[in-house]
Amino acid sequence: MIRISGLSFKYEGGRDDALKNIDMTVCKGDFLGVIGSSGAGKTTLLHAINGIIPHHFHGDYYGSVKVNGLDTVDNKPEDLAGRVGSVRQDFESQMVSSVVEDEILFGLENFSVPRNTIEKRLTDALEKTGIKNLRERNIATLSGGQKQKVAISAIIALMPDILILDEPTGELDPQSSRQIFQLLRELNENHGITIVVVEQKIMLLCEFARKLAVMNCGRVILQGRVSDVLKKSRDMERAGVNCPRVVTLADRLRDEGLYDGAIPVNIPEAEKMVRSIMG
Amino acid sequence: MGGFLDYSPGNSFLHRLNPIVKIFLSLMICVSCFITDSPFFCIAIIFLNIVMAASAGILPRALAMLRTLIKFCTFLFLIQVFFIRDGTVLFSLPFDIYVTDKGVMFSLMMAFRLVGATLPLALMLSITKMNDLSNVLVGTLGMPYKYAFSLTTAIRFIPVFTAEMAGIMEAQTARGVAFDTKNIFRKIGLIFPLCVPLLITSVRKIEGAAISAELRGFNCRKRDSGYKSYPFRAADIGIILFAFALAAAGAFSPF
Repeated sequence: MIRISGLSFKYEGGRDDALKNIDMTVCKGDFLGVIGSSGAGKTTLLHAINGIIPHHFHGDYYGSVKVNGLDTVDNKPEDLAGRVGSVRQDFESQMVSSVVEDEILFGLENFSVPRNTIEKRLTDALEKTGIKNLRERNIATLSGGQKQKVAISAIIALMPDILILDEPTGELDPQSSRQIFQLLRELNENHGITIVVVEQKIMLLCEFARKLAVMNCGRVILQGRVSDVLKKSRDMERAGVNCPRVVTLADRLRDEGLYDGAIPVNIPEAEKMVRSIMG
Repeated sequence: MGGFLDYSPGNSFLHRLNPIVKIFLSLMICVSCFITDSPFFCIAIIFLNIVMAASAGILPRALAMLRTLIKFCTFLFLIQVFFIRDGTVLFSLPFDIYVTDKGVMFSLMMAFRLVGATLPLALMLSITKMNDLSNVLVGTLGMPYKYAFSLTTAIRFIPVFTAEMAGIMEAQTARGVAFDTKNIFRKIGLIFPLCVPLLITSVRKIEGAAISAELRGFNCRKRDSGYKSYPFRAADIGIILFAFALAAAGAFSPF
């Protein structure tokens, strides 16, 4: 579980606080999507969870972040790494090896995972992401989607309780983006891994995440279940986040007094909404 | 086929050698190039490199490297040959410039040595996984992991930065910068300012890699953390003996 209390952070030499008085709780098994405009503090928030802040990026730090009861100030990123797996926005720079197999071995070797279990962990991680056939491939020859899956495999091989991802579909086409989110759902539902994902594609979050947090200017302005957050679509738009069209449609119908049900978050739900209105 | 120094997967005899033996062989080939006085021996070494590359399935890459090295060495030869003033004058040019037999021999040997000594290291690195290399450096040679990781990361980043530079140049070409100019000084003048964006990108990438390594327990690594073992087999012993023999042949080359 992640508990963030009164967290404020200003980068060394920065003018404004990158994070302002954040309070947030992510429970075990949650699938939380974080969205917001550029510079809203999403990446900084993830850095505060995995301990990169304050251990790597220094600055004025107030409040506390506890991951499974461990305070990130008292515990270095490597102490948290066994619990929190991080997939960074620039996944290319995350790669430390030139071959897929070595990339996954890197973390396992670092944590001195017993040798008799390494092979199973390695093959399991590759199987979960569906890239078992790429094991011997040179990373430089892979596509963006395949590299992203390698980056995720390298993290899930460490069997973290929590997986945090910073815009994992940033450089991917729509089909590969969906594949990545389907994988995250599978990890969340079948393996109990808590997911915190920063993502700009609102439709993906609406479809796959169970909870949503909207950030603006370093603050978390909305958080809760996806359908509850989407009810405040105007607040989201003020924060620079475009709501899905189905939500905009539901808002208009609500304004016209034609609909008062749950906010649809995808096309099938929108279809149901329209059918209910049409009788 | 990947770029320069990218790992080329395979299961050839050379691929299967112990990484330490591969590096030892390439170093001994370099040494033999530098201790010999025979240009024929250097040519034989270059030929040996090509044969090794072919047996490891990286002949096209080796030939590409050889072509680049020949161009570079020709340039060096032409500069060097006019600076050696000893020996019998073979031909003279205006302004007291002349070429001697010793100058030709010295410049030729320099070019051969450069080709012969550069190829084996590049070829061996192309058929050795960086992870294997760092594991043997730590496990067998006792090098601290941080140094081994730094070394292998530096090698791994060479093709990354080469690709990055190519990307920057393509972007500039799209904006009308003519990098294909025949004037070498103008070309240098155009490329030099690109070092700034390359440096910024490089620092950013290295910082990203450092953070990622830290997030995956880099600082928890111990000397015996490596998963794979690298035993010395009969073939490895044979190659070590061959490497010594090569160096000895270089030292006592009769022709």
